[in-house]
Amino acid sequence: MLIDINTYIGHWPFRQLRNNTAVGLLSKMDEYGIDMAVVSSLNAVFYKDTQEGNRELIEEIQNNKAQDRFIPFAVINPKYSAWEKDFIYCVENMGMKGLELYPYYHRYALTEPESVELVKLAGEMNIPVHLPCSIVNVRQRHWMDTNDNLKYDQVEKLLALCPDTDFIISNGPSHMIARQLKKVSKERKGRVYYDFARLDVFALRAPTSAFNALVQDAGIDHIVFGSVLPFQYADPQFVRLTYAGLSEEDMDKVTSGNLKKLFQL
Amino acid sequence: MIDYTKKLREEKMKLFKDNKVVNWHEHVWDDDDGKFDAQQSDLLVESARRAYMDVLVCSLPVSGGSPDPDVIRRKNNIIAEAVDRHPNIIKGMAFVNPGYSREAVAEIERCVNELGMIGIKLYNQYFISDPVLHPVIEKCIELDIPILEHAGKQMSLPVDQPFISDGTHFAKVAEKYPEAVIIMAHIGGGGDWQWSLKAISDCPNIYTDISGSVYDEGIIEQTVSYLGAERVLFGTDGSFSQGIGKILAANISEKDKIEILNNTRFSRYLERGAY
Repeated sequence: MLIDINTYIGHWPFRQLRNNTAVGLLSKMDEYGIDMAVVSSLNAVFYKDTQEGNRELIEEIQNNKAQDRFIPFAVINPKYSAWEKDFIYCVENMGMKGLELYPYYHRYALTEPESVELVKLAGEMNIPVHLPCSIVNVRQRHWMDTNDNLKYDQVEKLLALCPDTDFIISNGPSHMIARQLKKVSKERKGRVYYDFARLDVFALRAPTSAFNALVQDAGIDHIVFGSVLPFQYADPQFVRLTYAGLSEEDMDKVTSGNLKKLFQL
Repeated sequence: MIDYTKKLREEKMKLFKDNKVVNWHEHVWDDDDGKFDAQQSDLLVESARRAYMDVLVCSLPVSGGSPDPDVIRRKNNIIAEAVDRHPNIIKGMAFVNPGYSREAVAEIERCVNELGMIGIKLYNQYFISDPVLHPVIEKCIELDIPILEHAGKQMSLPVDQPFISDGTHFAKVAEKYPEAVIIMAHIGGGGDWQWSLKAISDCPNIYTDISGSVYDEGIIEQTVSYLGAERVLFGTDGSFSQGIGKILAANISEKDKIEILNNTRFSRYLERGAY
């Protein structure tokens, strides 16, 4: 079984995307053997009221009868009015299984009181918080797009302030982030997961590859698969799985076991 | 449901296993003391063998400031050591700083004629269209060797590489020197790749390599669409998983993939390099 932690449906304003509908994404998932995928709404990132995008996502999934393939996450801006009501509604009425935050698009700090309050609430509701480090690489950004990535110092503080909440950190230099967050992660009850979408499994400059450095610092029980479909080709992820040298047991954890545990599937 | 990891391992990687693979953009490095890091070169070669790469074209550029000729000679000597250590797989490219015009031309001659290197690598010291490069480009035309230039349309701020060349700079130099063979480096690591592809699409002597950590869906298809596979080279620049994965994923013909993996227009350079 393969579960993907990071996919999107919706319109991207800065470059033409293919397969950014439920039908398109499902076709790519079938091509790559991805059984289930965490999905969020790109529209929600850009609408003033993220809840409009969250609703569109659920409708799109339901209209395509794909509830068994997608694990929807709610995009919430804690600096916008009624964020608490929206988040609770997403979980209790729309069946959303996670919270996804974009501080570098919605222009707030993860350490602001509203952010901390929202993330604590997620922890109380047993809802994991997904923090993508970026959507696209800022080196190639559109001139109207954000120039910022996730700020790891803020994540470190947030982890300490919200010790019960589970986190997933994706699409960034996970090996370096895991190294930075190693100490604080050990001192808390909530779990921290990382994907390996930006890491190389080949050792080219040092005896330990970036992927193996991540395994050392995060532990194999905290590594998950994320494709960033439909923005990126998925094949590099499978090159990584092919050459990572994982045992059958560890491969099972990375491809589905760890997320099954997180989502209690 | 398909097991894509198994499919990739048992079927898709045959593309690499069954065809010659020339990686036109890699590096070997010096250690903290400025000496050849033999262990690093061994790791690189071992990884290349695991991934069925047959040739690694390597350079050792200085990425900051304006390095002087003595520093550059030391860097190029390290490349020569790497070639000596792995003669069956590593080919060398000489790095020069065009700002030291006379010394740069002499260093190119030394590296090609004495050390057996097969091309030159330029970094971001000057735009490739800057007239200061003319003696260097003319020497490369005379010796019939390719120029690999660090490139990118950098969109992130602040701009930390003010003289990095994007596609428009390559288009200018193509007009001035249509007989030069120039590779606009790492289409997957140079910022706005669509900008640069559009800028060089009508310049037949400007090539690109696919290296870099970026593997945006569609990047290889658009590169081939703008340039044709015959103007595209395989490369990794420190990102093996990404480089292999994006060529496997691309929705282009098998013939085009094989041409990119071993661009036949560049075959003659690989036949050189023997001492």
